[in-house]
Amino acid sequence: MKMMELAFKNFKSNMKSYFSLIISLAFTIIVVFDFQNILYTDTFKMLGEKNTRQIHTAVSAISFVLVCFIFFFIWYSTNVFLNRRKKEIGIYIFMGFPNEKVGRLYMIETVLTGASALGLGLAAGVLTTHLFQMITLALSDIAVDIDFQFTLRPVLNTVGIYLIIYLIFTLKGYVNITGSSVLGMITGARQNEYVRQNIVLLVFKTLLGLGVLGTGFYLAVREGEGGVESQIGIVAAVVLVTVGVYMVFGGAIPFIFQKAAGNKRFLYNKQRCLWINNMIFRMKKNYRTYAMVCVLALCSVTALAAGFAMRERYDNIMKFNSTYTVQVLSSRGDLDADLNQVIKQYSEIDYCSQIQITGLEGSLVKASENAGKYAFVSYSELKDLAADIGKEFSLKEPDEGQIVRVTHMYLFSLLTDREHRKMEIGGRDYEQIEETDISYLGYLQDQVSFYMVNDSEFAGLQLLGQNLHCYSYHIEDATAYQNIKEALNAYMEKIETEGGYIGIVSIDPGSNRIYWVKVVFSLCIFVFLVFILAAGSIMFLKLFNDSFEEKERYSVMIKMGFDREILRKSITAELGAAYGIPFVVMGISSCFSVHALGMIMNTNLTAIHVGSALTVLAVFLVCYLVSVSSYQKNVGV
Amino acid sequence: MNDGNVVRVKNLIKDYGAKNFKMRALKGIDLTVYSNDFIAIMGPSGSGKTTLLNILSTIDKPTLGEVFLGGRDIGKVSNRELAKIRRDKIGFIFQDYNLLDTMTLQDNIALPLALNGVSAKECIQRVEAVSGMFGLGEHLNKYPYQLSGGQKQRGAACRALITGPEILFADEPTGALDSKAGKDLLECLKNINESRNTAILMVTHDPFCASYAKDVYILSDGMIKCKISAGYSRKEFYDRIIDIQTSMGGDFS
Repeated sequence: MKMMELAFKNFKSNMKSYFSLIISLAFTIIVVFDFQNILYTDTFKMLGEKNTRQIHTAVSAISFVLVCFIFFFIWYSTNVFLNRRKKEIGIYIFMGFPNEKVGRLYMIETVLTGASALGLGLAAGVLTTHLFQMITLALSDIAVDIDFQFTLRPVLNTVGIYLIIYLIFTLKGYVNITGSSVLGMITGARQNEYVRQNIVLLVFKTLLGLGVLGTGFYLAVREGEGGVESQIGIVAAVVLVTVGVYMVFGGAIPFIFQKAAGNKRFLYNKQRCLWINNMIFRMKKNYRTYAMVCVLALCSVTALAAGFAMRERYDNIMKFNSTYTVQVLSSRGDLDADLNQVIKQYSEIDYCSQIQITGLEGSLVKASENAGKYAFVSYSELKDLAADIGKEFSLKEPDEGQIVRVTHMYLFSLLTDREHRKMEIGGRDYEQIEETDISYLGYLQDQVSFYMVNDSEFAGLQLLGQNLHCYSYHIEDATAYQNIKEALNAYMEKIETEGGYIGIVSIDPGSNRIYWVKVVFSLCIFVFLVFILAAGSIMFLKLFNDSFEEKERYSVMIKMGFDREILRKSITAELGAAYGIPFVVMGISSCFSVHALGMIMNTNLTAIHVGSALTVLAVFLVCYLVSVSSYQKNVGV
Repeated sequence: MNDGNVVRVKNLIKDYGAKNFKMRALKGIDLTVYSNDFIAIMGPSGSGKTTLLNILSTIDKPTLGEVFLGGRDIGKVSNRELAKIRRDKIGFIFQDYNLLDTMTLQDNIALPLALNGVSAKECIQRVEAVSGMFGLGEHLNKYPYQLSGGQKQRGAACRALITGPEILFADEPTGALDSKAGKDLLECLKNINESRNTAILMVTHDPFCASYAKDVYILSDGMIKCKISAGYSRKEFYDRIIDIQTSMGGDFS
């Protein structure tokens, strides 16, 4: 029989054991393809160029994360697959096949598996991509018609990414086989199972892991001053938390279990004796799985929290920017009555405000956050304005040399240290004592860097810059927006000829300027689903495989008359720990990751965090119940 | 327990196979085991030794006949009660030890007690006591893979005896041991039988092993062919077993 025929025969006869691998690989291909397809279809083009660009940036970033995930997933699954087949491969070597020949046989079988997964994944990807985009738009609350589109580029990208990663690990398997001994192969299935690990090594790993994890947490929540340093800090935090989680599972968790097993007064308590020892027995082999599940769950919670935070920020930004419908800036302070008259031709006015502003050119100001233009308002006037439009005002009056940043609502910022920042205005030093993102000046506040100073400082600054009056209006009838805008333009032209016109700022109530944020919200939900399903299914498959290895042990215990009910309870506890420990570590770690996210997005994500963690818990609970049921069935209790 | 007997078997019959192709493995066995008995069951391959052991130890069910364990007819008790009988009144030793490789010898021995809800303190005390009797005190913290075959089998015996069973069933307990380890185990079992009055019923093909028993039953073709009782010395008893084996012929393995 030729090598190809033998490989094909093996592939066909082992289809049952390959099935789970093919399905899981196909799932990853579907996900990559669906995301790639967004980049090359016109679905989001009707949202405008800026939105499309931002969506593509977000999709590219998510695709990068997904490629990293696929890299580790293929690594893990091909490793599990190789270990499962090692005994059979060892028998071929034992029968006299050269290692290289057996390695080639394995490679052909692995390529057949990979090709099946690729074919299935692409077919399902092409079929589901339209649905994926429809769901994305529906979740984003965007009503546009989309057509089924098929382009070759996402297919080629997906195939390219997948093949490169898959072939790396196929070659790794080949190298592994060619360099292995017969004995190593025959005992391959059990090679990773050790009973107890060296306690000194575990303590070292625990301390190192906690140190790495703690550093990661610190970098995540420390206040950043923006710029490259903050970006490096975030990347370092992600890497350190991931490595730290692996070390904690490789050190602290086995250490705790071994200590528990050493304390016989604790251990000899019904089924505890059985399941704690089982956990220790499998720990060396399983800790990577626990860590991977924990990291995936952490990613999923963070992704969901990011999605909801984006959505919340989107709503708040829209609300912020639509504080006023039109804003007029003029050097004249007597336009109030005229402007009211022009607007009231088309709509009643909900509320309006007027305030004096001093604008300074960027060259007069030195600040860490460089802006082209700076604007200043006085404490008293801002306080009055807040009262006029019914906004909360709890800012204290700054002293001499102090400023308060009146900022806009931004989506996210790496600059999280918002107090005690220094700036130099007209040669004088100022210290920022507070920051507020309450919309006193609406869209104008979003466009210009605003600061509040006390009244005497303001009088001083008026001498340095350009003094303007800002008239802001919110109209009742949003449909009158266009007419009002035209009428105001006409009026302002008249004023301009008299030398008083400066500018008009308006925001269309129906604007879709930042629709992309809503799309990113939907994509974050998909990423959450991908990660959490991957975490749940990896854990389920791991325990499902373990149950077959445990079958013999449980049949001995049944033969010896051990109560089946107690054995069932032992399985319940063991699997509870397998799901529970990664969840607890994820819960602790996510406090830091979501806190960091909250700092970047300047929002409180506690409710979203709790909601996301509960969703993960619900998914884990379902997987846990299915795992317990199938485990008990497989071991025969 | 009735009249001091631990196990009583009346007209035990066991059939295997489908309706039209039945094979009778046991053809009406009558046997009574008392609390201080040490019985060895011998017989050629296919004589029904293991079938008898499996039924007596409640692993298998009889086709006809009655089996009383601790005074209860095992054919008439619920599965839950059967599990309780198996847990409290019976101990098992298997040829291949069947120690759980996931835990230390100490935990293996303590496991039946711990699962039964016995306090940790008592578990520890009883493990120390029984392991001492089998010379395993120094090996309690080792895992099965760190123990020799003899140590493993003595460990399995400790696990079987830790609950204080009325009867110990042993299926070829020395089958996988060298002669020295086998002898050590049998000496231990003999001591337990004498000091604790624990009945032992052992299936074996080895006449030397059987010579440690007080009575040897020879099974052939699903029936008890003869019973040999120990005499004044173990050597003499061993010779008589060999003689019977020789006279019966067949493969006693």
